[in-house]
Amino acid sequence: MICAQNNVAPGRKNVFRGVILIFFIVLVVRFYVLQIVQYGRYVELAESNRIRIVPISAPRGNIYDRNGNILVYNESQYNLNIIPYEITGAGGDSILEKLSTIIKLPISEIKYRMRKNWRGIFFPATICEDIDFNVLTRVEEHKLEFPGVLFTYVPTRAYTDRVRASHVIGYLREIDRNSLIKFKKYGYRWGDLIGWRGVERVYETILRGKDGYDYLQVDAHGKVLGELPERKKILPRPGNDLFLTIDMELQRYCEEVLRDTHGVVILMNADNGEIISLVSKPDYDLSLFSGVVEPEEWNKLTTNPEKPLFNRATQGLYPPGSVFKLITLIAALSEGIVDTNWTVNCHGYYKLGRRYFRCWKWSGHGTVDPVEAVAVSCNVFFYTLVRKVDIDTWYRYARLFGFGEATGIDLPAEEEGLVPNRKFLDEKYGEGGWTEGMKLNLAIGQGDLLVTPVQMVKFAAILATNGKIVQPHLAMMYYDRIKERYVHFVPEVDSITVVPENVWRILRKGMYEVVNKKYGTGYLAKLKDVTLYGKTGTAQNPLGEPHSWFIGFTDTGDEKVAIAVIIEHGGSGGSNAAVVARKVLEHYYRLKAEVVRK
Amino acid sequence: MKRRFLGNKLAYMKSINFVILAIVLLLTLFGFVVLYSISIPLKVPFFYKTVGKQLIWWVISVFVLIMVLFVKKKFLFDNAYFLYAGGLFLLIIPFAFGLKVSETYRWIKLGTMTIQPSEFAKVFYVLGVAKYLSGENVAIDSPKSVFIPLFMAAIPFIVIFNQPDLSTALLFILTLVPMLFWAGVRTYYIFLLVAPVLSVVTAFNFYTFFAWVIVLLVILYLNSQNIILAVSMGIVNFSLGFLTPFIWNNLKPYQQKRILAMFNVWEDPQGVGYQVIQSQTAIGSGGLFGKGFGKGTQTHLKFLPQQHNDFVFSVVGEEYGFIGVIVVLLLYLVLLLLILNAAYKAKDRFSSLVMIGAISFLFLHIFINIGVTAGLLPVTGLSLPFLSYGGSFLLTCYIFIGLVVNLNRRL
Repeated sequence: MICAQNNVAPGRKNVFRGVILIFFIVLVVRFYVLQIVQYGRYVELAESNRIRIVPISAPRGNIYDRNGNILVYNESQYNLNIIPYEITGAGGDSILEKLSTIIKLPISEIKYRMRKNWRGIFFPATICEDIDFNVLTRVEEHKLEFPGVLFTYVPTRAYTDRVRASHVIGYLREIDRNSLIKFKKYGYRWGDLIGWRGVERVYETILRGKDGYDYLQVDAHGKVLGELPERKKILPRPGNDLFLTIDMELQRYCEEVLRDTHGVVILMNADNGEIISLVSKPDYDLSLFSGVVEPEEWNKLTTNPEKPLFNRATQGLYPPGSVFKLITLIAALSEGIVDTNWTVNCHGYYKLGRRYFRCWKWSGHGTVDPVEAVAVSCNVFFYTLVRKVDIDTWYRYARLFGFGEATGIDLPAEEEGLVPNRKFLDEKYGEGGWTEGMKLNLAIGQGDLLVTPVQMVKFAAILATNGKIVQPHLAMMYYDRIKERYVHFVPEVDSITVVPENVWRILRKGMYEVVNKKYGTGYLAKLKDVTLYGKTGTAQNPLGEPHSWFIGFTDTGDEKVAIAVIIEHGGSGGSNAAVVARKVLEHYYRLKAEVVRK
Repeated sequence: MKRRFLGNKLAYMKSINFVILAIVLLLTLFGFVVLYSISIPLKVPFFYKTVGKQLIWWVISVFVLIMVLFVKKKFLFDNAYFLYAGGLFLLIIPFAFGLKVSETYRWIKLGTMTIQPSEFAKVFYVLGVAKYLSGENVAIDSPKSVFIPLFMAAIPFIVIFNQPDLSTALLFILTLVPMLFWAGVRTYYIFLLVAPVLSVVTAFNFYTFFAWVIVLLVILYLNSQNIILAVSMGIVNFSLGFLTPFIWNNLKPYQQKRILAMFNVWEDPQGVGYQVIQSQTAIGSGGLFGKGFGKGTQTHLKFLPQQHNDFVFSVVGEEYGFIGVIVVLLLYLVLLLLILNAAYKAKDRFSSLVMIGAISFLFLHIFINIGVTAGLLPVTGLSLPFLSYGGSFLLTCYIFIGLVVNLNRRL
């Protein structure tokens, strides 16, 4: 081993000893001062200086409609809390006894709730929510007898009674375990409410405020002595106010029109994607969700066969019916497969092999060109047409117009719908197991096709703007409380360039005739003062009467409004849905005229 | 043959310093009592788990300590540099696949246990430096004898500083001073090593910095045989003093806060000083005899997250009073002095220096941690040997003790 011998000078060892001793003496002196000299002072501090940390809930942001009408705001609720530490010592049981007679809860239940809402021995645990005023005053009067019992003010959601808009706004629920794990870093705690549906969920981070804390000093009897001098109260920061593109008055009217039916109305500005109204019926009363939902109420809602919690506008999947004939026509014309003068002679049926595919008009339409085919929704024209279009081209155009993918609307859990392609059909029916007949069904919007109403309104908007694709959205802007300014949401915009100008013209002409000519299928939707372009659809479904579709748009030069209506089991599209569309649009222009007058 | 073997065993047993082991055992047991006491008023199973986890770590630590007792001195000496390199490797692991806990990389996860490798690195670092300073060819009088150990300390310092863990990083530099001093390095060189720290500290005030510069220049002048060294050290210290304000502005806000809280504990609204106030109140209200086991009514501390760790000593002060504090401090003092004695009597310089390294780490941890709870020092996050909750650190302390007892054998 090549290691030097140890030959430390004794002096250096003594330096070490000295340093160690000096530092230990410093510590001893310090502890002598703290524990012997200043003992009295610290005992007093320890006795009187009990700290309560009381969280102050931050109110969520309000929600307004496009005109500044309030839709959702906050109300106060008082909760009764117990600080576990205060009732664990001697005398704790007598406090609980007295409390249990006032709030009429057995002691075991109080203890159970305390354990359930445990956040720490010094943190108030909620025992009762939304207690009534009598209890509050009785406990406050005898405050000294109830150390460790305190009230917290909690803001709860309150909703306007002028409109329901339940599927737009959505509700809050107590945060669940998975979300808590995911969002813990953002300061969520057990018992916090979190946006669960609607814009309340999508804009959770904008609407949610930041909780504050109050540090209180209390004496040995639990009496609040005041705020802690060393720690300042942290004030809660309220959430940001959100402004929707919804027009409350129109929304209310749409809800009125759709009352007692199952269906959807969506009205959207075709230029910028702002949704002016979105109603899905049946819906539910949001005031059920203002605080914590009682389990019975929740069960009633979830087991209701009418499915009121289900947002048909974004989650409802329906065959599009004749509306989809437009896709078939656009594909054929844009690809130059037929020209705009191409005609078909309709005898009321189309024969494929040994099968007869009927037109809806059994006597036939005679000779029809593309414009008339749209106007009268002639099946035979489109059967004949789609034979010339291969499935891949048809699929490409359907996807181009946004079918088979989510629109990106700011509502949670949007469905994508389904546009079958060659691969899908091969997989479902086996390679070669599907025939040309399948294509004939797809051409008129039946078969495996599934769309959502919000996809349909987006489609109507694309037709209105000759190919501009906007993302439908409900949020217009919010007021940023930190930066103290309004922040506007900018939706994505894209456009379709493969469709030539003359095809748009033909489509518009056809859709004009649908509504404005006596022989058009949507004549019932005709508006008095404004020109409406539309297309009806009658979606066959195995459950009963067909669903009634109407999509359309108006173009007044300065503004283009797109509309989509579906009435479940509403019969033919020309009747029920067209009437609803007319009523809604007439009301829209009536409201607009009123605004202008004012 | 068999008898001789047994005889060897007996001789070996006799050579073990059982007093050191007994003190360590006493302190550890006391730590368990305190951890258990913390867990009483809180009816939360988690706290029972911390005692339980610590117990598992203790069993592991005892097992490792016994293994360390049987390692040959020659093995340690021959492989000291490899071990040092291994220690550096341990430090880098958390960056590669460690846990990110509140923006820091200090831990790695093994099963359900989290391990802090920078703790173990302390042992290997001490072995490395001890080997260098005990080499026969080392000219202890040359400045090189300072710079190479300083380099060995700089690497772990930089890595740990980036975890970021400022206080642990500083420990690596601080432990170097006693080891160099023990090895016989000239006091002047050690002064040059400490000088930059003083330059930084004094730079916050113009007058203190001015006074310090004068002292520095005088000392440099008196030792100006090596003129290049003196001049360059002067320049280094001078520029450090000027740079400090800029470096300060680049510190993380929480680091600034912790350092600032030292100067005015009672007016810190952000809550760092709050822990210290609570700790002081707990200690002060303990009085002479303390409130007794499990009766620490100054329970504000009970919801402070660090009471089982950084502030464990305030529980000692509250529940066992000044007497309890004196007993624990005496146990630590005797332990350190015993090791110092062993270091002095060791036949070779390597053993001696390893023991000094162990003393340095243990002493700094003890003094800084207790100083923090008593409000003498800023909150650093350094644990208290044998008492604090924390497995990696307990194990590290046990390895140090194992090395001390092993190298202390008179064979």
